[in-house]
Amino acid sequence: MSFRIPIGPYHPALEEPYKLELVCDGETVRDAVMHIGFNFRGIEYLAERRNYLQGITLVERVCGICSNVHSLSFCQAVEQLNGAQPPERALYIRVILAELERLHSHFLWAGVAAKLIGFKTIFMACFTLREEVMDALSAISGNRVNYGMNRIGGVNRDIADPQAVLNILDAMERDITRTIIPIFLEDRTVESRCKGVGILTREQAKAMGAVGPLARASGIGQDIRRSVPYCAYDRFEFNVPVESSGDVRARLVVHTLEMIESCRILRQALSTLPDGPIHTTPPVGARFKVPAGTAISRVEAPRGEVMYQITSNGTEIPERVRVRTPTFMNMATVRFTVLGQDLADSPLIQASCDPCYSCTDR
Amino acid sequence: MTMASGSFLTTLWELGLGGDWEWKNGSWWKTLDAADVRARAVHMVSLEARFVAVTAMERPDKEVRLDYQWDLNGQLLSFITMTTSQSIATIADLCPAADWVERETHEYFAVEFIGRENTKPLMTRAGDPIGINLHKEVVK
Repeated sequence: MSFRIPIGPYHPALEEPYKLELVCDGETVRDAVMHIGFNFRGIEYLAERRNYLQGITLVERVCGICSNVHSLSFCQAVEQLNGAQPPERALYIRVILAELERLHSHFLWAGVAAKLIGFKTIFMACFTLREEVMDALSAISGNRVNYGMNRIGGVNRDIADPQAVLNILDAMERDITRTIIPIFLEDRTVESRCKGVGILTREQAKAMGAVGPLARASGIGQDIRRSVPYCAYDRFEFNVPVESSGDVRARLVVHTLEMIESCRILRQALSTLPDGPIHTTPPVGARFKVPAGTAISRVEAPRGEVMYQITSNGTEIPERVRVRTPTFMNMATVRFTVLGQDLADSPLIQASCDPCYSCTDR
Repeated sequence: MTMASGSFLTTLWELGLGGDWEWKNGSWWKTLDAADVRARAVHMVSLEARFVAVTAMERPDKEVRLDYQWDLNGQLLSFITMTTSQSIATIADLCPAADWVERETHEYFAVEFIGRENTKPLMTRAGDPIGINLHKEVVK
C-alpha cells in the first residue's frame, strides 16, 4: 500500500522552508515531488530598481551563509563592464574571504550531516570549528554574516594582521585532522550509515546540471576556481577532490577534503599577501553609472557555481540582474537520490546535497 | 584575442558549433534562431555540455530575449535568441536541468514554453499572476 507523506513547507529535519511529498511503499520511497518558492523575495526584480551601491548590499542578502560570493559575483560583473581592475592585495583578500566562507559553510554542512547521521558529538565539534571561522570573519570584516567587504574595484577593509588569521588556521587544521577526518573518512559507523545511500550517478548529475561538491561526488570534476580562475586563484596550488560513487559517503569525503584544500589556499594567500592598495576607484555612490553592455561573472560558492549576468543601459540602475544559484540546480536531483531508499534515510540524503533555500528562492 | 581563445574557437568549429562567436565579458556569445533552440539543445547534450541557465530580458517590442547558457569544458557559451509572440519551444524534455529554469522564466517574464508537460508554478503559487519581473505590466 502506498502512502503520500507531505514534509514541510517548513522542513522539520533541515529547518529550511521547502516541501517534499514522498510516495512510499511501506518504508521505501517510490516517488518524490518538490515544492520550493516559500522564501521567494524577488531579488532580481528589486536589484533592477536600485542603484549599483544598493545592489551590492541587496545581493549580499540573497544568502545568510554564502553572502560574500553574491556581492563578489555582482562586483566582478560590474568591473567587467566599467573596466575597473582591483589591485593585487584586494584580489588576495577576496580569496581569503571566499575560502573562510567556504570553511564555515562546510563546517555547517558537516555539523548538520553529523546530526542526521546520529553523531551529535561531531555536530558540536563542527559547530565549534565554525564559530572559530566566524570569529575570524568578524575580526576581518566587523560582521559575522554579511561582511560588506566587496566594492566595485576592490574591497572595503584591509587585513591588518594576516598572522593572527594564520594562527587561527593552525589550530583549526589541527582540529580538522584530529576530529573531522578520522570520523568522516575512517569511522565504520559513519561509513555504514552513508555508503551506498542516496546515489546520484554521473549521468543524472550531468542531466540535472548539478554543480559543486554534489557534482564532484558524482565524478564531475569541475570547479570554477580551477576551470575559469577569478580573483587570485591562479596563483595558488590546490587540489579539486573528486569521488565517483555518488553516494552520501562520497559527498562526505569531498566536503571534508575541500576543508583541507581551503586551509591550504588560505595559508598561501595569507603568507604571500602582497603590499599595496585595496581598491582602485573611489567609493561608488548613488550617481555611479556603468557603461552599457552585458557581463557574466561566475564564482565557485561553497555549494557550487554561482552565476550573475548584469546588463547595463548606461544609467545608474541595472537593466537586468540575473542570479543563478547552485542549489537551484542541485536540489532537483533529490527526486533521483531518494528513490528506492529508506524513508528514514531521506533527511540525510537531502541534507547531503547541502541545500540552501534562501539562495534557491531568492 | 589570445591564443587560447583562438584555439577554443577552432574547437567550437570542429564540434559543429559554427563560427561568428564573440568573446565578451565572461562568455562566448552567438545569436541563435528561435526555431533552432531544440536542435541546439540536442547538440549541446550530445557534447556533454552542462546546462547553466536561461537568462531572460524583456524588450521594448514586448518580446523577450533569452540567453541559453551552457558550460563546455569550463567555457561559458551563451546563445542569444528571441521569443516569437512571447513564446518558444521547450527544451526541458531534452535537458531536464532546464525544467525549473523554464518554469521560473514563465513566472517572471510571461514566456510560454511550448510543449511543456509540467506547467505548475515554481516560485509563485497557483492562481498568482505571471510576468512578475516585467517592468510595466503583470499578465493576468
